[in-house]
Amino acid sequence: MKMVNVHASVNEELCKGCKTCEMVCPVYAIRVSKQEKEFDVDIDPKRCVGCWNCEQRCPEHAIEMKPCEPYVLSTDVTQFDYKEIEALCRKTRFHPKQLVCYCTGTRAEELAAAILSGARTPDALVLATGVGAGCGIECNQPILRFLESAGLSFERKKQSFQWYGRTITVWEVPSSLREEFPVFRFGEDQELFDRIINAPVEP
Amino acid sequence: MNGAPINPAALRDSQYGVDPKYVVKRGADLDGMTSVSLKELIPDMPSVIYPNGRGVSVIKEETERALASVDFSKIRPGHKVNILASHHGFTFLGGEPYAEMLRTIRDVVITETEAKEVRLRAGLGMRFRETEEYIKAHGLDEYFEGKALGIAPIDAGIPIETKLGTLYGLRKAYDADVIIHAHNSDVREVHFHRQVDRAIKPFGMSYARCETRSTYHMNMGPRGANFVARAIFESDFVQDKYGFSIFMIMSPQGVVNVDADNDLYALNDRTTVGGMKYYGKIISLFGEIDECIAILDFPCPVPYVFSAGVIYANMINANIDLFDLDNPLPPYTWYTETFYDDHGQPLIPEIPPVNPAIKMVVHNYAWTGYPAVFFAEKTPTIVVGEEQAKHFDRDPMNLNYMKHALLARNLDTAMAFAYETAGTDKVIIFDGATGGLNVSASLAEHLLKVAPSVCDHVENTLIPRWLDQRNMDISLMRAIP
Ligand code: SF4
Ligand code: SF4
Repeated sequence: MKMVNVHASVNEELCKGCKTCEMVCPVYAIRVSKQEKEFDVDIDPKRCVGCWNCEQRCPEHAIEMKPCEPYVLSTDVTQFDYKEIEALCRKTRFHPKQLVCYCTGTRAEELAAAILSGARTPDALVLATGVGAGCGIECNQPILRFLESAGLSFERKKQSFQWYGRTITVWEVPSSLREEFPVFRFGEDQELFDRIINAPVEP
Repeated sequence: MNGAPINPAALRDSQYGVDPKYVVKRGADLDGMTSVSLKELIPDMPSVIYPNGRGVSVIKEETERALASVDFSKIRPGHKVNILASHHGFTFLGGEPYAEMLRTIRDVVITETEAKEVRLRAGLGMRFRETEEYIKAHGLDEYFEGKALGIAPIDAGIPIETKLGTLYGLRKAYDADVIIHAHNSDVREVHFHRQVDRAIKPFGMSYARCETRSTYHMNMGPRGANFVARAIFESDFVQDKYGFSIFMIMSPQGVVNVDADNDLYALNDRTTVGGMKYYGKIISLFGEIDECIAILDFPCPVPYVFSAGVIYANMINANIDLFDLDNPLPPYTWYTETFYDDHGQPLIPEIPPVNPAIKMVVHNYAWTGYPAVFFAEKTPTIVVGEEQAKHFDRDPMNLNYMKHALLARNLDTAMAFAYETAGTDKVIIFDGATGGLNVSASLAEHLLKVAPSVCDHVENTLIPRWLDQRNMDISLMRAIP
């Protein structure tokens, strides 16, 4: 769940048309086009989740975050049979109550609910829950892991710096590496995760 | 014995903190504060070359000395060279020593080789313009002739094939023929790296895309995660470009020396044992503080504010020995943070609580741009000044921070409330004071009393255990200055 209280706004006079903002937006809310000699930066306020990525990366400092009427991005977990939520979370190797996004406080159960509600792509999950609209870094793999375990594949937009791909988890570390590098304690960390994932859900 | 408070580190004009004009009083200016020097607490603290009264010219000399033993032959005529740096280095001692090391590396590479272009690529954590600010503040853009860049984890990526499968680096970090790894040895994030491959870590973090960082913090577990950086560093892609490494060697008192090596693993061994030797005692001493009010008062996000040369994250974790690899989970690390449910209850009973000695936190000045809600959730927190509260309310990483913190109009009001509620007069200030720490008289007395036995225990019991867990020989320790 994330409260959106700012939206991106561009000063087109400063824009040089580099498209960085378009590339870093996690929900593809920006389109940059050339209109004769000037650049048009179209930011869709209905999609903007107030993550600040574009403001922080525009090399010309052409984007500013402006306060908007606050609203919340969230998916109601209670609309589903919790067993379904639990099953998808545990299949993805998360406890349903485990946090998947430190910034917005989104938990695994909400990602599962968003997928059950029809979210099919990473940007749809961001829009449905607000996950990924904080630092935009650490929740990257939980988002991709959830989509994969729900059997969903998506085509990555080539012209973007988003969602490059799912990477390894500790369960997949080859046994040869476990044996060669005991100092990294892969086996013990895997057991720790397994205890977390299989812990009961307290009401 | 105890002296007057040491001058705290200056605040910084930054988009990540409130305008310093709103900070009308520093913790060190509070009545009853005093200071203890690190030398008094830990007599065998190494001597430092900076600060030393000679300015940063000593860093230049030391960097040149360290580079004299490096083999530059990988850099061939016409090559483009990227000096890879990280934001952390700029948070030490005002940032100028690290900036001077970077300038000197550039000068020496230009003198020693026929490189066509030497650039600075400065990685960062979660504040995507932070290194841009440092580049500007230290004049590095002009020094590198317009070729100094901050690189962020959401910038264009490049896939790297590793022993762990495909991981992702930052394209701009690797868009050169040769890379130079220019870092520091401060133990700081021991809750993440656990003093295993600490010198390699930036390959999985500062120079890496968000996919890789998320792999580290979400997919691999609190100790297994550290293999991510090694996997990237050992990839053919990185090895093909890797030239050498150069580190500013830190102790809690300042810069000990500069160390450079073509062999990063040799340097890693030295920084691993050096980190235990220089930081093990002060971090363990923090673990002996029985109760305190912590004042945050430094230009960095909450976990990174400094006292006694170590970061606040070391204090919130000080109830557990983080060098001890048998402890699976630090009280604060991003894995631990995910293991609490929506009622704030741990998902399994063995999750260690955050340091219960911290009775209250007075947040006088610290930055946004790092998800810090866990800190306010787990320790009663008072934020000083409405401007600061508003600043946190706007930050997408801290929208919930003020939901768990109280707001005080000024520092005196906050402290009066803290003394009354926390029931202790022991105060520790994380304000970046150099050479010692600013504390209340009661805490100074306590620290001086327990320090000798802590030092003895670290030296004779803990360090041998830490080395043993890493298959490292005590002889390595003797080679450290
Ligand atoms: S990042 Fe800035 S300069 Fe580049 S297209 Fe967007 S608004 Fe224009
Ligand atoms: S603030 Fe974030 S979501 Fe909004 S337009 Fe910019 S990048 Fe996209």
